[in-house]
Amino acid sequence: MTMFHFFNCAILTFGPHAVYYSATPLSEYDTLGTSVKAALVYLGTALVKLVCLATFLKVSENDGFDPYQELLKAVIGFIDVAGLYFALTQLTHRNISQNHKFQAVGLGWAFADSVLHRLAPLWVGARGLEFTWDFILQGLEANANLVLSISLAALGSLMWLRKNKPKTLIPIIYACAGIVATMPSITSYLRRGLGWHFPKVVGFELFTSLSMAFISWQLFSACQRPSS
Amino acid sequence: MVLSKNSGGHRGMQESMYSVIALVFILVACVELCDAAAAIDVYRLIQYDMSGSAYGSRFAVLNHHAAALHFPPGADLSRAVLIIPLRELNITFVREYINQKKPLGGLLFLLPDIFSFENGGNKQVHEKEKLKNLLAELEQLLIHANIPYPVYFAFENDEIDTVLADIKKNDAIGQPATATTGGYKLVIPTPEPKKVASPTITNIQGWLSGLKVDGDTNQLPTIAIVASYDTFGAAPALSVGSDSNGSGVVALLEIARLFSLLYSNPKTRGRYNLLFGLTSGGPYNYNGTQKWLRSFDQRLRESIDYAICLNSIGSWDNELWIHVSKPPENAYIKQIFEGFSNVAEELHIKVGLKHKKINISNPRVAWEHEQFSRLRVTAATLSEISTAPELLQGTGGLFDSRQFVNETAITRGVKLVAESLARHIYGHQGKNVQIFADGGSLAVNPAYIQSWLDLLSQTPRVAPFLSKNDPFVMALQKELADHTDEVNMQHEVLEGVFTFYDSTSARLNIYQVASVTFDLLLLLVLGSYLIVLFSFLVITTRGLDDLISLFRRPPSRKVKTA
Repeated sequence: MTMFHFFNCAILTFGPHAVYYSATPLSEYDTLGTSVKAALVYLGTALVKLVCLATFLKVSENDGFDPYQELLKAVIGFIDVAGLYFALTQLTHRNISQNHKFQAVGLGWAFADSVLHRLAPLWVGARGLEFTWDFILQGLEANANLVLSISLAALGSLMWLRKNKPKTLIPIIYACAGIVATMPSITSYLRRGLGWHFPKVVGFELFTSLSMAFISWQLFSACQRPSS
Repeated sequence: MVLSKNSGGHRGMQESMYSVIALVFILVACVELCDAAAAIDVYRLIQYDMSGSAYGSRFAVLNHHAAALHFPPGADLSRAVLIIPLRELNITFVREYINQKKPLGGLLFLLPDIFSFENGGNKQVHEKEKLKNLLAELEQLLIHANIPYPVYFAFENDEIDTVLADIKKNDAIGQPATATTGGYKLVIPTPEPKKVASPTITNIQGWLSGLKVDGDTNQLPTIAIVASYDTFGAAPALSVGSDSNGSGVVALLEIARLFSLLYSNPKTRGRYNLLFGLTSGGPYNYNGTQKWLRSFDQRLRESIDYAICLNSIGSWDNELWIHVSKPPENAYIKQIFEGFSNVAEELHIKVGLKHKKINISNPRVAWEHEQFSRLRVTAATLSEISTAPELLQGTGGLFDSRQFVNETAITRGVKLVAESLARHIYGHQGKNVQIFADGGSLAVNPAYIQSWLDLLSQTPRVAPFLSKNDPFVMALQKELADHTDEVNMQHEVLEGVFTFYDSTSARLNIYQVASVTFDLLLLLVLGSYLIVLFSFLVITTRGLDDLISLFRRPPSRKVKTA
C-alpha cells in the first residue's frame, strides 16, 4: 500500500515533465540532448550555489525570517539565472528553433530541480506507513516549478537570444524575469516571515506560476510578430 | 593483448556495477518505519507457565488496526487492537471477552498518570481508591487467564489521548477501521518471547555480631529480621511493589542502620547477634527463604531466638497485625507479642495477633514466617494485612505505586520494631525507655526512608528478570554491607513450578494510515490530470487535429492496391 502512495506521488512529481516532452513537438525534433545538457548545467549551478551558501551564510538558531540572510540568499539565487544564461547561450544545441530551445532547456532545468530536491524525501518518506499530505503538496510544487522554469527560460531567451525586440516591451521583460528569478525568496518569506502553511504556499506558487506563464507567453508571441 | 585489456576494463566496469547495485539494495532496505504519529513505551502482560499450564499473554508482536470501546456491534475485532483507558474500564466486559475466548487482535490498557512514578507526584485524583481497586481486580483477572493475543499496558499522555479521541470519533461515525477505510495502525516490532533460562533468585544476608564476653564459650543467641524484596505483577516492567514489599525492605535497611550505630560501640553492643535477610522468591511460596534457611548449618539455626518478618507496612493508619503459626499460648509467642504491645501502646498503635496453622502437606506458604516455622524456628510476620493473601496476590502489582505509600507509616513501623527488639536485647522489657527517641542521635531518619522508598518505587523487581549482577541487587548488598559486619549473597535457581518468558517492554508506534480506496482514488485523479495535461499541450502546440490523429488508426492498405 505504501509503495502505491510512493508511485502516486512520483507520477505527480515527475509525470508532467514526461508528458510535456511527449505532448509538444519537442519529441518530434528529438531535443532530448538539449534537456540533458540543461539538467547537467543545473547540477553544476546547484553545486556552485551550495558552496556560496556554505561560505557566506550564517547558521541561524531560530527558524525566523532574517532579512539580511534572505537578501543574501536572493543574491545567490541569481546564480540560477547565470546558469540558465549559460545553458541557453553558451551550449551548442542542434539546429532547433528558438521556440523549442527554451522549452527544452526549461524542461531539463525543471526536471533536474525536481529530481535533486524531491526524489530523496519522496523515497525515504512516502514509503513509510504514516500518511501525510506533504508529498502530494510537494508534487504540486514540482508542477508549479516546471511552469516557472519554462517561463523563466522563455524570458531568458527573449533577453539574450532575440536581438530585435520592441523597445517598449524590454523593461517589462526584465521586470518579469526579475520576479520569476526571485520566486524562491518570495516563497521562503511567505513561509517563514508570514508563517503561511504549506498548502497555502503551494496554492500561491501554482497561481503565480500560471500567471507568469501567461504573461511570458504573451510577451513571447508579441516579440514573435515581425517588427516591421 | 588488446582483448585482455578490454576484458580487464570490462571486469572493472562490472565490479563497479555490482557495487552500485549493492548500494541500491542497501538504500532500498534502509527505509524503516520511522515517522510515526506517536511512539510510546508499552509494557507487556506477564507470560508464565505454572505447573505446565500456560498463563498470561502468549504473544508479543502487534501489527493491527486500533479500535476503541463502543465499536459497532457485530464488528470483527480479530484483527483489531482494543484501546481501553482504565477510567472507562468495564471489568465484566473484559472478563466476558477473556473467558469466552472471543477473538481479538490485542488489548492495550491505558493507565492514569498517578500509577507512574515520574508523573504521579502528589496529584490529587478523586476516585483514587476506586481506580486502585479496579486495577487490582483487572490484574488478578489477567494473571490467571490464558490469553492468546498480546496485552500491553501504557500510561496516558497527550499523544495517545488525541489518537484515542480520533478513533472514537471515527467509530461514532460508524466506520470501523479495517484495511480499506484508513484509521490508525498500532505496530510493535518486537521479537517472539523466549523462555527465561534458569531464573536466579538472590538472597542477601547481613550479620551483626553481638558482644562476646571473654570466657563465654556459648554461641550467642541470634535474632533474625527478614524481608523479601522481589515482586510479581501483571506487567513485570512496572511491578515496583512500593508497599509489597518495598516498605518492608526500607524498614529493614533502616533498622539495620540504627542497630549498626548501636553495635559500633562495644559499650552499647548487645549480647545478641543480629541477622538481616533480604530474600527473593517471595511471591512463589517464599521459595528463596526456604532455600536460605536450608543453607544454614544446624547450630546457627538452633541459635535463632526468633525471627521477625516484615511484609507490607507502608499504608496503614493505626493497626498492625502480627501473624504467627505457633499457638498464641506458646511462651515465646507470648513474650514477643507482649514486647510489641507495650511499645505499640506508647506509640498509639494497635497491634493484633493472628494465628494461622501451617499444613505441612500444603505447598502454599502465605507468610514468610511459615518457612521458619516449618524448620522449627519461632517466627512472626508483622504486616498491615489482616488475612493471608492467595498465591500471586498482594505481591506488588500495577496498582502498588508510590502514591499509595505513606512514609510516616513506615517510620512508625520501624520505631515499633526497633524499640521492641532493643528492649528485648538489652533486657528493658516493660520499662518505659525510649532508645530511638525522636531528635536524638538514634532517631529514625525519615529522609533515609524516603530516598530508599523512592528508589524502590522506580525499580521493577520481578525475580526472573533480575540477573545475578543486577545493579539493584548490588546496591542492596552494598547498603547492607555498610551497616553490618559481614554480608553474604546466595544465588539459587528458581526451579520447579514456574517458567517465565521474556519481552516485558517495547516501543509502540502508532501510524495514521490512509486506506487503499484513497490511494486508488488518488491514482484515478492523477491519471486524469496527466491525460488532460497531455491533451491540452497537444492541442495548444500541435493543434486539435494532431490529437485526434493519435487515436485514429492509420488508413488501411486496401486503398493502395485498388
